[in-house]
Amino acid sequence: MTRAAEPVLILIFRGTHQVLSAEKRLKGGGVPLRLIPVPRRLTSDCGLAIRIPLDRRDRAREILSGARLLPVSAHIPREGGEYDPVSL
Amino acid sequence: MAKAVGEAVLRAGNPGRSGHALSIRSARDLFVARERLAELFGRADSSRFVFTENATVALNQAIKGVLRPGDHVVTTSVEHNSVMRPLRRMEEAGVRVTVVPAGGDGVTAARDLIAAFRKATRLVVMAHASNVSGALQPVDAVIAAARRRGILTLIDAAQTAGSMPIDLSSLPVDLLAASGHKGLLGPQGTGFLFVREGVPIVPLIEGGTGSRSESDRQPEFFPDALESGTPNSVGAAGLAVSLAWILRKGVGTIRRGEVALVDLLLRGLSKIPGVTVYGPEDPLLRGSAVSFRVEGMDPAETGVRLEKRSGVLVRAGLHCSPNGHRALGTFPAGTVRVSPGPFTTRAEIATFLSALRKIRNPSA
Repeated sequence: MTRAAEPVLILIFRGTHQVLSAEKRLKGGGVPLRLIPVPRRLTSDCGLAIRIPLDRRDRAREILSGARLLPVSAHIPREGGEYDPVSL
Repeated sequence: MAKAVGEAVLRAGNPGRSGHALSIRSARDLFVARERLAELFGRADSSRFVFTENATVALNQAIKGVLRPGDHVVTTSVEHNSVMRPLRRMEEAGVRVTVVPAGGDGVTAARDLIAAFRKATRLVVMAHASNVSGALQPVDAVIAAARRRGILTLIDAAQTAGSMPIDLSSLPVDLLAASGHKGLLGPQGTGFLFVREGVPIVPLIEGGTGSRSESDRQPEFFPDALESGTPNSVGAAGLAVSLAWILRKGVGTIRRGEVALVDLLLRGLSKIPGVTVYGPEDPLLRGSAVSFRVEGMDPAETGVRLEKRSGVLVRAGLHCSPNGHRALGTFPAGTVRVSPGPFTTRAEIATFLSALRKIRNPSA
């Protein structure tokens, strides 16, 4: 599983159902992940986000675009609690 | 199923509202049940299966979410009140309703329904099987004809979901409603509405979804568009278990078992003097509900005697379907209804038939 020191990517989805659908497909495709509460700096939503190792980005994009489950946004955490928006 | 519900009560969190463990587990209960529904009904995208409290709420959502003043709707004379009452309400709001009469066997002819289509027809609503006579309705032919005319279709599958194969990848119905506690063997308080991609529908209920919280407008994506407020994740946990059982067993196997029991019932009932059975004679043309009447005996009295004598629990009366009974000529007294399920045995059918023979004697 991802250690905090490893670079990670945070994926934000439209709703809880989409998060769990993406989780099922990513796991099925061998992408290690963790469900995390959506960081408040990213959205006002009260739900969940998916955190994956940054080096699995291409595999995640392939799986999620095939399932028509692309996230609404993706972010790389920086030091100081900020996030850089990136494309998946 | 009951164990899963009990365990879910003890660990229920509000799904989609937090990132803590209990909230996630409850969200998973809903997700797993939804995925299994999609698998059972042959769809890849489970988000189009919206959870409701029961089939009634699903039917209300479909009818009131699709029809607008000036629209015309076609339905049958064997519908449950969960279809007829919302339609009558919509009639007051300027929707025109055509109720196509069924035959004496409770079956509505496809050609009669299709002949009722007009230019303004927006929706056809029909039961897959009557909850009174058990009669299967010609849904395939009507859906195909409606689709050619650009008319939306809504099927009330309360009597058939889980007991008869329904494949939504080959049956091009737009909306399908069912309860979770009948053929799907789940707990009461569960049900669903399937909404095909692209079908325009307005939510009946709006509110918190846990998503798009920065906006005071209802999300348009599914299932959130039609699911507001704290959902019944406890019920979903139970439904998920019963759906897994049905998927393992196979709906085809369940159907074959129920057809054999209905056949046994029909043949047994036909041999008891003074008993009239309603609906098609061929068990393949019916769902599992079998309605009958004992000559000279109030159906409610028959029900009480059956319970007292043999512990057989039946539903007597109008079954929330006055129109269905008018179609059969059994209004207003109604009938007695027995419905074998996947756990009913041949021995239980024999016990029921034997009890019925005995209670025909008023001094018994």
